[in-house]
Amino acid sequence: MSMHPLLTGGRGERHLLLTNEAIVRGALEAGVSLVSCYPGTPSSEVPDTFRKLGSDRYVLEYSVNEKVAFEVAAGAALAGSMALVTMKHVGLNVAADPLFTAAYSGLPGGLVLLSADDPGCHASQNEQDNRYYARAASLPCFEPASAAEAREMTREAFRMARELQQPVMLRTTTRVNHMRGPVEFGELPAERSQVPFERNPGRFVAVPATARVRHRALVSAMKKAREFAENSRFNTEHGDSGVRTGIIVSGVSRNYLADALATGGWGGRVRVLELGMTWPLPEKKLLAFLSSCDRVLVLEEGDPLLESGVRELAQRHHCAVRVEGKDELLTVQGEYSTTLLLRRLAQYLDCPCPALTSAAPAAEGLPNRPPNLCAGCSHRAVYYAVRQVFGDDAYYSNDIGCYTLGVLPPLRAADFLVCMGSSISTGSGFARVSGKPVVAFIGDSTFFHSGMTGLANALFNRHDLLVVILDNGTTAMTGHQPNPGMAQEVLGEASLHLDIEAVVRGLGVTQFARVKAFNLKGVMAALEDLKDKKGVRVLLAEEPCALYARRQFKKGTTQVAEVREQGEDAQRCLDTLACPAFYRDGENIAVDENLCSGCMVCLQVAPKAFKARKRG
Amino acid sequence: MSETTQKRMRIYFTGVGGQGTLTATTLLSRAALDAGLELVAGEVHGMAQRGGVVESVLLLGGWRSPKLDPGEADVILGFEPLETLRGLPYLRPGGAVFSSSDPLPPVSVSLGNAAYPDLAEIESKVRAAAGVCRFLPCRELGLQAGSVQSGNTVLLAAACASGLLPFGVDVLEAAIKKYLPAKLQEVNLKALSLGAAAVAG
Repeated sequence: MSMHPLLTGGRGERHLLLTNEAIVRGALEAGVSLVSCYPGTPSSEVPDTFRKLGSDRYVLEYSVNEKVAFEVAAGAALAGSMALVTMKHVGLNVAADPLFTAAYSGLPGGLVLLSADDPGCHASQNEQDNRYYARAASLPCFEPASAAEAREMTREAFRMARELQQPVMLRTTTRVNHMRGPVEFGELPAERSQVPFERNPGRFVAVPATARVRHRALVSAMKKAREFAENSRFNTEHGDSGVRTGIIVSGVSRNYLADALATGGWGGRVRVLELGMTWPLPEKKLLAFLSSCDRVLVLEEGDPLLESGVRELAQRHHCAVRVEGKDELLTVQGEYSTTLLLRRLAQYLDCPCPALTSAAPAAEGLPNRPPNLCAGCSHRAVYYAVRQVFGDDAYYSNDIGCYTLGVLPPLRAADFLVCMGSSISTGSGFARVSGKPVVAFIGDSTFFHSGMTGLANALFNRHDLLVVILDNGTTAMTGHQPNPGMAQEVLGEASLHLDIEAVVRGLGVTQFARVKAFNLKGVMAALEDLKDKKGVRVLLAEEPCALYARRQFKKGTTQVAEVREQGEDAQRCLDTLACPAFYRDGENIAVDENLCSGCMVCLQVAPKAFKARKRG
Repeated sequence: MSETTQKRMRIYFTGVGGQGTLTATTLLSRAALDAGLELVAGEVHGMAQRGGVVESVLLLGGWRSPKLDPGEADVILGFEPLETLRGLPYLRPGGAVFSSSDPLPPVSVSLGNAAYPDLAEIESKVRAAAGVCRFLPCRELGLQAGSVQSGNTVLLAAACASGLLPFGVDVLEAAIKKYLPAKLQEVNLKALSLGAAAVAG
């Protein structure tokens, strides 16, 4: 067992923690027994920290997708344990079905759902606001603004989940997940807290008759939750009582507000109501605040949810307060910031805005650094081969993972992408009506996530497409988390390796080939063969993620590539393969020995131009 | 909202994925915490790891916002010169810049599709904008200490030795001894003295 302070640190100790680590500590202090997840930025460090700690205080599983993760956690909470389930915001769309029903039945052990949202789309395909889910499914919701608060709120969320027997949401945003700050520890419990499961089909079996009864129970549980919110220590008011200019603020905006007030020196000019427990709304507290203000400004990133609630409350109670919120400055897009709030507060308080000057304007024309497929990435080899065989004749349906980076030229291996696991199904629909050849790319983890169902559907409905499974043996994009495709020796005893070929064949795929991604000849031959066939065809291309192989297996090749002949061939390889290990040395092309992983794909693309040599 | 009387300072770190910028941020954060300072640090993870730009911040003395806007940083620590130049708008007028002078060309430059700005030009632009400006051969000094990675410690030590941070090299030295694995300490302590000496000289 690890001697990590998160596991051994006692009450009163203070450590510098990432918010995601502080959530782990909070869950441990609450007495969590089971953690399930599907990794996704910005949530991944929560399960990854549990994995690193490796304690017998809890069991951790990387589930195959968010719906499954939620259901496993719900099962554990039904059985009477405290369960934590973590995912990124879009993952909750996948898990929404069990979420809504679990809120009806209730979960006696206590379940806390971490939904990590991503305003600004740092690593996501949208910036949806998951506070809607708290409202739609009826979940009490906490929104921490610092690492220290994340520990406390996680603990409080579990306490409430157990007491109400209802799932509770801990909602974070990227900036909060990836903040670091001092966290003071509370006590770790001596043992896990467990309640017995009492059979009660009239409650726990979701059918219409029970649902009607349970909906009523849910409404009354939320009434209780509202009382908790009224008295929550996370909902605080400050400022001089005579001041009638109010601000209501939640989430990360609380930090921007604090800094903006400090910068403007405006602390004495406003009264602030900060909400940390943000659903259900503490209506009495809000109403008292609204009644004592002439104007309030609502500050929240994302959609105007708090603002709408405040407006509705004021209207319902004939409160004459003027409510301001989203406008042309405070939009529903992207993130807020200190200077944004400074500008808005200057308007609101009708005073001059402190000068916001910078030492220098943005330099123009600087070369960018877009993220790129690594040197030695097996996806590049497969994309190269597919482009050679299909060119622009096929349409490329891509999916979510590192391999999405294949969208960039010269590989240009993505024409459309909807969401996790969509490549096969969306490709199916595209092919059906367009009559064009479609190649769908999907990674190993994404295949298990929700590609399998798309493949079953493609077979069932006799679709016509080529599926290329890019199997690099790990969940690479989010930091090399386990998935069922990972090798057994890496997974260890707790997990079982599933063979992708067996799954594919088991579903009924007969037109199938399995290749090594770095064997270019083999990949191209298989593609040529599958190209002219009809129906569902699957190519499984295998090669461990280069980064992962280096870290996990300490596998480094003894050979690297070098240019032996400058000229057209070397140039063609650089133009079409564009490996980041290539560089220009004056007029010549060269290979950076430190970056080259020794995959030797360039030797196969341009045998005359490249040769292998010993490293060093 | 806690009020504090500590001196407020915002430090902006910028570098390239894989360089160890975040590790350096955490080391300096731990040093600040041990020096008794209020602090918040912020990082950008995710896709940045694939060779992209990596930015982080360290806020001292009571600042709370993990996202900086242009003009808000008192100090920039640039682990790569092009990224220092790109991050320069974050600096407030009169702020300080400590930067590595060793380029890591982006792929577009390696492949000959874009040009890396002239180093002397980068330096002169930064010098014109900043109140204090130090470019250091971090890679070379790191190698001299024993590893390329310890070049990051060279940069941290230079900033600490400048007297501009609310703590000195001694605090960083203690943090290296307390938080880095034993096998990395000697190299990093050597890097620390090289960095401190570079600023003194």
